[in-house]
Amino acid sequence: MQLTYLEAIRQGIWEEMERDPAVFCLGEDIGVYGGAFKVTDGFIDRFGPERVIDTPIAESAIVGAAFGASLTGMRPVAEFQFMDFIACAMNQISNMVAKTHYLWGAPAPLVLRGPSGGYVHGGPFHSQNPEMWFVHNPGLKVICPATPYDAKGLIKAAIRDNNPCVFFEHKYLYRRIKEEVPQEDYVVPIGKARIAREGRDLSVITYAAMVHSALEAAEILSKEGIEIEIVDLRSLVPIDRQAIAQTVKRTNKVILLHEHSRTGGLAGEIAAIINEEAFDDLDGPIVRIAGLDSAIPFSPPQEHHYLPKVEDIVRESRRLKAY
Amino acid sequence: MGNNNKKSKHNSNERRANHGSRPATARVRADADGNGRVATAARAGRGESQTRQDTDLRTYSIPDYRAERPAFTVLQRVEKDADGNEHVRYEVSGDLDAPLPPIRDSRYLDRQQAIQIYRYMLLNRKMEVALENLYKQGKVVGGVYFGLGQEACSCASAYALDKDDWFAPMIRNQGSLLVRGFRASDTMMQYMAKADSPTGGRDGTSHFGDIEKRNMVSPISMLGDLIPVLAGVALGARLQGRNVAVMTYIGDGGQSTGVTYEGINFAAVQNLGLVLVVESNLWAYSTPSNMQYRCKDLAERALGYGIPGVIVDGTDACQVYDAAHEAVERAHRGEGPTLIEAKMMRMKGHAIHDAAGYVPKEMFEFWKKRDPIARFENYLLQDKKWLTGQENEALIAHVDEIIEAEREIAVNSPMPAPESAEGGVFCENGCHEVKPKYGTPKVRKGTGSYKATEAAVHLK
Repeated sequence: MQLTYLEAIRQGIWEEMERDPAVFCLGEDIGVYGGAFKVTDGFIDRFGPERVIDTPIAESAIVGAAFGASLTGMRPVAEFQFMDFIACAMNQISNMVAKTHYLWGAPAPLVLRGPSGGYVHGGPFHSQNPEMWFVHNPGLKVICPATPYDAKGLIKAAIRDNNPCVFFEHKYLYRRIKEEVPQEDYVVPIGKARIAREGRDLSVITYAAMVHSALEAAEILSKEGIEIEIVDLRSLVPIDRQAIAQTVKRTNKVILLHEHSRTGGLAGEIAAIINEEAFDDLDGPIVRIAGLDSAIPFSPPQEHHYLPKVEDIVRESRRLKAY
Repeated sequence: MGNNNKKSKHNSNERRANHGSRPATARVRADADGNGRVATAARAGRGESQTRQDTDLRTYSIPDYRAERPAFTVLQRVEKDADGNEHVRYEVSGDLDAPLPPIRDSRYLDRQQAIQIYRYMLLNRKMEVALENLYKQGKVVGGVYFGLGQEACSCASAYALDKDDWFAPMIRNQGSLLVRGFRASDTMMQYMAKADSPTGGRDGTSHFGDIEKRNMVSPISMLGDLIPVLAGVALGARLQGRNVAVMTYIGDGGQSTGVTYEGINFAAVQNLGLVLVVESNLWAYSTPSNMQYRCKDLAERALGYGIPGVIVDGTDACQVYDAAHEAVERAHRGEGPTLIEAKMMRMKGHAIHDAAGYVPKEMFEFWKKRDPIARFENYLLQDKKWLTGQENEALIAHVDEIIEAEREIAVNSPMPAPESAEGGVFCENGCHEVKPKYGTPKVRKGTGSYKATEAAVHLK
């Protein structure tokens, strides 16, 4: 069945709610309205207001309540209207939820999900990529799918996981991409990267919407005889160190690409992993393409300037190929 | 509550006391809002909370069980020392010579239960004395926190919970842990960072939990975050068909945090069985309650949440128990949250390093006379004659023996191996089985079947 990225996530949650009575959803405007992006559209009619809970505008309470319910063996799926607003619940997530299993041995099987990312002119409070806040917090799994197939398989895996999972849905992809998704039940394991395109000349390691920018660049570059390999990380925690090392060993040159601001972005961590795992295999400098070190601006020309572009990937690939 | 100064003694005292036995539905004519406008006060009951009716009558009710109502004001004042140098100090005003009130008879506790609570209070205090000694012997890692003067509040409130109920203590509720079946050595080993402590050395103080047997959520150091978490526990249990009571605590300092509001409000709109004990102990570290909030009583906040609130004397175990018992019963009936404000005083500094020199001495003297253990002991021995002097001595001796034995266990536990810092960040490889604690959640399925959603209109 051809599904959009959004529909794949929606179907994944729906199927999990059908399968497991311990799964329930809570969040702002997710019930009768069906969520700001309609991810939970129709859920309340099927599963009832007990399992599709419209909450007050209170992110700390949403996370706290989800966590508390998870301690009784439930599997809550909490929606953030935009992942930017997850900052309001940071203490609950960082100090309460993430540390629980390590400190006192209680599993916290909850999913914190919502839309993130730019390219939709959402402005500084509706376009952020706050994934690194969670990568820096041991105890959380951080998931950033790039395709409908992965989005469905990973949301199911996250719901079934016994750990708190922060699930970033790229809002630019919600209805822009479609692909064939199997009818039968499947999960995509959390922590396994995939090769989105094979190539021999250099590697682009990335995740979420940037996978598609890299694929576009690959088409252009291919016509020039430059074949790039694209690694889609799928999850940032756990990170697939092996896949990172392997691609570097194959191509010997690497570009690290993400929307997140350059400083403190995942590229720095990946560069360190390459240094530890595949230093001798490098035939050129590690290149970073990332968002600017500022807030993400609103006006389309400014946002365009801030975010990584296909032409950036093309330019840097040519440069690195020639190195 | 900008009009708190208008609250007449008549209103807040006699009337409140009259309604003390029915906190859920008691109503008292309002502290006027100035123009005679009135609306229905918060009502218990699930259906009612959904269909709150507007009427022309605004009635407020905060039952107050206390036999006395000490009202102090603590303000910052500039003082000059002998050399003419100015210093800002706290000064207290109020009736500091009020006579000691009697303990109120409980409407629920029998002799056996009252003696058990008394025993837990003794255990609580003697455990903390032992902790203080361990600290002085250099055996404690970090500081020690005390609940001195708050033992009645911790022990009598937790005593009101049933086995299947849940709770989460704050730093001064070490007595609650004992009531819920943890051993004194658990807390002692936490303070000493020992290998056998409930967290295996990974955290100290009362920062541990147990979701299997004792239904305790581990506190964190940040204040107020437990409130929505406990609400979520009640939500999870309700989805599994059980109305459990979920009790936690917050101080007059901690209630200033935003998450406190979020948590109580969430419990209120979802009608969850939260029992929130607001421990008004007058000092938040070094800051007096007059600098934390402006309303007269924190229980008044219950009105704003649309839930019942009640005030008790936190040094009177019977009052604390009765209010907690009624709140727990409400929770079990599915009638929603209750806010209990327990008034008392923190009788030591914030932690062992803090001599509390900023507290006016008269306040310590006033509250020392209201020591919860001395009051309860006197009540059991003199007023009720439930304990003879000899029985009391035997009970105290037994508590001393227990604490000494627990101290031995704690001291003899080894320090954790350094490598035990590793692992356990994630629940993996089957280390825990997750399943609903109270049985398969009841699922109601509507007729709606899956169909693709319409296009979103937001940020296309």
